[in-house]
This record gives sequence, C-alpha cells and structure tokens, in this order.
Amino acid sequence: MTKPQSSSAGISRRKFIQYSSLAVGSGIVAACSNGSSTQSSVDLGENPIKVGVMYSTTGTIAIVEKSLQDATFLAIEQINTGTGPWEGNGEGIGGRKIQKVVVNPDSNWDLYNQMSKRLIEEDKVVCILGCYTSASRKSVLPVFEDKDAILYYPVYYEGNECSSNVFYTGAAPNQQITDSIPYCHKNFGSKGFFIGSDYIYPKESNRIAKAELEKIGGKVVGDEYAALGTTEFITIINKIKAAKPDFVLSNLVGDSIPAFYRQFKDAGITSDKIPIMAYPTTEEEIQAMGPEYSSGHYTSFNYFQTVDTPENKLFVKQFQEMFGGNRVTNGVMEAAYLQTFFMAQAMKKVFDEGGELNTGTIREATRGQEFNAPQGRVKIDPENYHTYLYSRIGKWKEDGQAEIVFSTDAAVKPIAWSQTLYKGRTCVHPTPDTRVDPTVETGKDLEPKYLS
Amino acid sequence: MLDYTFPTLFSTPHVLIAQEAAASNEGFDILTLLNQALNGIGIVGILLLTGLGLAITFGVMRIINLAHGEFIMLGAYVTFVFQDAFDLDLLMTIPLAFLITAFIGAVVEITIIRRLYGHPLETLLATWGLSIVLQGVVKLIFTAQLKYVKAPAYLSGNLPLVSDDSGAAVVAISYYRLFIVGVALALLGLTLYLFYGTSWGRQIRAVTQNRDMAKCLGVNTKLVDMGTFAYGCGLAGVAGSVISALKSVAPPMGQDYLVDAWMVVVTGGVDKLIGILAGSLLIGEANAIIAFMLNDPLARVIVLGAVIILIRYRPEGLFTVQKRV
Repeated sequence: MTKPQSSSAGISRRKFIQYSSLAVGSGIVAACSNGSSTQSSVDLGENPIKVGVMYSTTGTIAIVEKSLQDATFLAIEQINTGTGPWEGNGEGIGGRKIQKVVVNPDSNWDLYNQMSKRLIEEDKVVCILGCYTSASRKSVLPVFEDKDAILYYPVYYEGNECSSNVFYTGAAPNQQITDSIPYCHKNFGSKGFFIGSDYIYPKESNRIAKAELEKIGGKVVGDEYAALGTTEFITIINKIKAAKPDFVLSNLVGDSIPAFYRQFKDAGITSDKIPIMAYPTTEEEIQAMGPEYSSGHYTSFNYFQTVDTPENKLFVKQFQEMFGGNRVTNGVMEAAYLQTFFMAQAMKKVFDEGGELNTGTIREATRGQEFNAPQGRVKIDPENYHTYLYSRIGKWKEDGQAEIVFSTDAAVKPIAWSQTLYKGRTCVHPTPDTRVDPTVETGKDLEPKYLS
Repeated sequence: MLDYTFPTLFSTPHVLIAQEAAASNEGFDILTLLNQALNGIGIVGILLLTGLGLAITFGVMRIINLAHGEFIMLGAYVTFVFQDAFDLDLLMTIPLAFLITAFIGAVVEITIIRRLYGHPLETLLATWGLSIVLQGVVKLIFTAQLKYVKAPAYLSGNLPLVSDDSGAAVVAISYYRLFIVGVALALLGLTLYLFYGTSWGRQIRAVTQNRDMAKCLGVNTKLVDMGTFAYGCGLAGVAGSVISALKSVAPPMGQDYLVDAWMVVVTGGVDKLIGILAGSLLIGEANAIIAFMLNDPLARVIVLGAVIILIRYRPEGLFTVQKRV
C-alpha cells in the first residue's frame, strides 16, 4: 500500500530545512570537490612556482572556459618541459617548474570571488590566470585590488577599465570594433542591426560599435538583446527582416550563437543579403553549429586558426596532439596561451635580475614583455597593461575556417577606453607602479599606433 | 591601501537604460506582424513538444520532475551520437531517442521515483539531484563543448505565403518549424489516443484517480506507474531530438526548456492533456507578439507575470475537470 498523498504543507519546517540545507550543501561540495587544488602526478622538482588557474569547467560558461583551460595547460606543459615557444630556456623557469593550482568556480560569479581569495590567501599562488566573462572579472577585481595580486585576463572585452592588478591580453575595443565597423560600412552598407546577449559586455560593446557607426554616417536600425542562454531567436530574426539592415552586428555569446545562426539561415536570410559581423563567434562555435550555417558571415578577431605564421602552425599542431585532432583553436584560446608565456617571461626576467617573485616584481617585469605569438609579434603595453594585438577580419568558409579578408600589418597599440565614448581618455601607470589612479585625460583624439 | 578606489566603477554609467524599441518603424505593418504571429506557431510547436512529457509526468502522475529538461538533453545527445557514429538521418534517430530516454526514465522510476510517491518535496529534491547528475555524466562523456547536429536537407527552406512586389517572401515559415509543429501535434494525438482509447490509458486514469481502488481491481499499479513515467520521459527525448537541429546541444541545454514546459503545463491546466495545447498556444503566441512589440527579455517577464496572476486566481489552470474530492 502506498501512503496517501500528503500535501506539502504536511512537511515540517525542520524537515524542509534539513533537506534544503542538504541540497545546498551537496551543491557546494560538488562545486568545491573538483575545485580543490589538483596535484599532478608529474614530479615538479624543487620549489615549484605556484600559479592559480581559474576557469569554470562546469556550468553554462564551461563551453568556452574549458578550452581556455586547455590552452593554458598546453602552455604550462611546454614551459615545464622546455618545448614549443619555451625551447632553449630549459625545463621550467630558471630551473623551477610551474605548479598549477586549479580551481573550478562552476560558472558562478560569486564563486570566482571566493576562489580567487582562496588561491591568494591559502594556496599562496604568485599570480592567477583566468576568468572569461566580464561579470566574473568585475566580481574578482576588488579581491585582486585589495590583496594586491596579479590576474592575467585573456579575453576581448568592453574596455573602459584599467587596473594595476590586471594584465589584459585580449582585445580592447580599438582592436576589434574600431576596424570592423568601417569595414561593414564600406562593404555592406550603412544600416546596421545590433544584437547581443543581455549582460554587460555585449551591451557596452554594442554601445561603442553603434557610436562608431553613427560617427561615420551610418544608421542603427535595430538594437535587440536576448537573455544569456536563449536559444529561440525567431522574434529577433523577424525584426531583422522587418528593419532590412545592410548587416547584423552580433555580440551573442555561448550557446546562443549556434541557435541564432541556424535559425537565421533557416528563416531564409542568406549571408550575401544580410551578412553577420560578430565578435564572439569563433572557430569553436562554428564547429558546433555546422559550417554551412556560418559560411559567408564575418568575425572580427585578433587571431584565426588560419593565420599564416610558423608559430601558429606549431601551436595548432601541438594543441591537437595534446587534445585531439578534431579540436579547433580560436582567438580566446590563443590569448590564454600567449599570456601564460608573458607570465613565464616576466618570471624569468625577475630571476635573471636576481629578484624574488612577488606581485611588485612580476608586475614590473610583465610590463613591456614581447612575444612571438601564433597571431604574430605581440607586446604588453607598459603604460596601460593591455596588449598590442593584430586586428583582423575573417570571412567564414564552407569548411568552418576563416579566410582573412583584413589584417593590420602590425599589432595595434591598445587603448583601454573607448575613444568614441570617452574622447582623449587613456591610462598611464607610473614606473614603478605605485597603484595610483592611472587615468589621464588628454582631451584630444588618440592616433592609432602600431608595434614597430 | 584599502582606500584605493577603482576609477571605472564611478566613471562609467553601469546602469543599463531600458532598451529603446527598434529605431525605425518602417515596415512595421500588418504583414510583418502576421509573419511574426505565424512564426509564433513555431515557438508554440517547441513549447508543446517540450511540455508534453511534463504534462504526463506532472499533469497525470503528479510527479514534480525537475530533471525533465535533462531528458530533453539526453534525447538531443542520442541524436548526436547516432548521427556522429552511424551517420543516421535525424528522422531515423527520433524513435531511438524515444526508446533510449524512455528506458532511462523507467530505470529512474524504479530506482528513485517509486520510493517517493506521496512525498512531493523529496521527489523535487531527488529529481533536482538527478538533473545535476545527468548533466555531470553527459559532460564527463561528451565534454562541455557544444555539439553539432545536422538538420535534414529536405527540411531546409521556407514556405512562402505572401510575397511583396520584388518576389521576396514577407510572410513565410520554415519547413523545419512546420515539421516541429507536425511532430508535436502527432504526438499529442497519439498520447490522447493512448489515454482515452486504450485499456492501458484507462488503467493510468484509474490509478491516478484512485490508486487503492485500482489496485483492488487488479491493476498492476507499479507497472502502470513505470510505463507512464517512461512514456513521459520518452516524449521529452523526442523533443530533444527534434529541436537539436535548430538550437544548441550542450549539457545545460535542458534548463532552458524546463521553465517553459512548466509554464505551459500549469497554464493549460494539469488535469487535461488538451490544456497543454491551449497553454502552449497562449504562451507561445503571447511571447511572440509581445517580444515583437517590445523586446525578448521584457516579453518573458510579462508572460511569466501573467502566468503567476493566472495561477493565483485559477490555481487549476485554464482547463479543469470536475473531480470528486
């Protein structure tokens, strides 16, 4: 005999508290159990250097962050074995290997904050590589500022930030937006329809892009956002149809990307009629949606898998050897990869000068580091801690790879602030960095500069 | 230096102003709206498809299954696996998705749900845990990367209904969305037939109305429970299989559909299967029209708010049957 149906009111408060705390507790345990430091079985020799690696391998954003973690692991592996770009430097840095302390914040922005505290205070790491979304960066920033620790952040982002505790190795707005909008205006037409996921980066990025478009005489005919994780786009697509733009600028992220491109084509809009120019759509997402949906559309990024440099051929080859031949590389992964070498070179510099590894020495040593990255020669700007990167536009082909239709000849000097929104604002950290407010108002247009 | 304040936090307005409606109202005419309403049917189809399984597990069996979304996800992965390994056509994988997810559903019923009948809170927690486990297992096997499912070529393209002077379709719906609607309606019809036209269906209704009496009359209630739950999960699997080609396939994908499915089932009325048709029509079209007038996030808020108000004044949903208490 089964028990009679009891209503939920029949459950005592105590029982509810017991069960719910059990559920919450197990959730936390689940997040932390794989969030603990992983001690690899490899012998790291004497006195390894502890470095935090903070990417979510579970939750919504794991789709992207897992691949960043992969690229970071590849770089650390190469540094520890003295292979790849680290060839000729021996194993490790000055004989000391890197011990990675890996945490998993489970796509929960608050957990990033807690995990970074733990890495800095308990694990005593010398610096941290990690974060993908701006939301997570904003969440950990106060921790890094308060405890004076260093974060290497590998993601293209909305800009308008400048911290003494973060090295930004992804694109600033002027390395992704500034060239792509005139390109769209010139090649597709003046009417742009802007879409994005509903959080800080896409909105800020679109705000800058819209200002850029209006500055050169274009017209914004639509501006739509969808909640993070949305996979139903028929409404936005119908609005696009009704507005008849010359191009769509997409700042959708994550699993919304394949859904949007598929439904876009499914609704009968072809890429020669209304091309999509996107920032977050990379090789990784193209592989997931099927190349037939993306061919003919565009992405503006610093790096594509098809970039023709010897360093890149090697990077792709080594990455696929380590993680499987079906894997693709993309711009965010490349940034995660190259920033690990920036970090290693900085540490090497500290050792060469006979110094101790701490936040101050690593910070000073990282400024101005140069590296032959897969995308070409890049450099950390000593003034604003962003990175000189190439600006490129790729047109997606049938095979899911990009044909590069635009590229600067050299890496572009980063400008941390959007010049369309904050004319003349820039940031210059003093040498040595005393952590004062680096913002400088020049009041005039900043000329684009390139790495010579 | 605790007093060191960060410049950007104060110099950029991080308050996001509500979006303006589309900048231009050109072409905002009756035809565009008609097109949107028609495409709303595509949304309705997906709602109906994803809600149908829940209408059985919750509507009929009163099991609060928070892992419903994960069964949708499993269906999508079944399609992915069979496409990837055997190059099967998507349509061929649909029955497989049904069978495999129904089998998993049966196992879940025997191992977990069966022990918790009559304990709604424990069921809720157990299925919530199950959803976390299923996501984790899938992630372990297939990694967190998005997966690619190929849409059948013969279902690509659009059915143009009204064209403008230049011959471009103004009102059109894609064949794939029509196909989804077709599958959803066919499954609804099949389910109705099973419930109201077969002895198994009569047994299910008997068990849900008066379990003890049905038992006395010789109905194998355990088998009926297992079968019904498995059938509901199988339907979720079919939903996952069908929508996988139009959306994204990833371990957390089910979460997105869970909320919508609940809204549909609760709005339609949990006692009548036909209520789900009304529920999905209402929510899908309301969503489509409001989103077109305003924007997507706002439409979701408005629809969700409306559902809450509806439930407040009609807890039994739109459709209800008189029951003896």
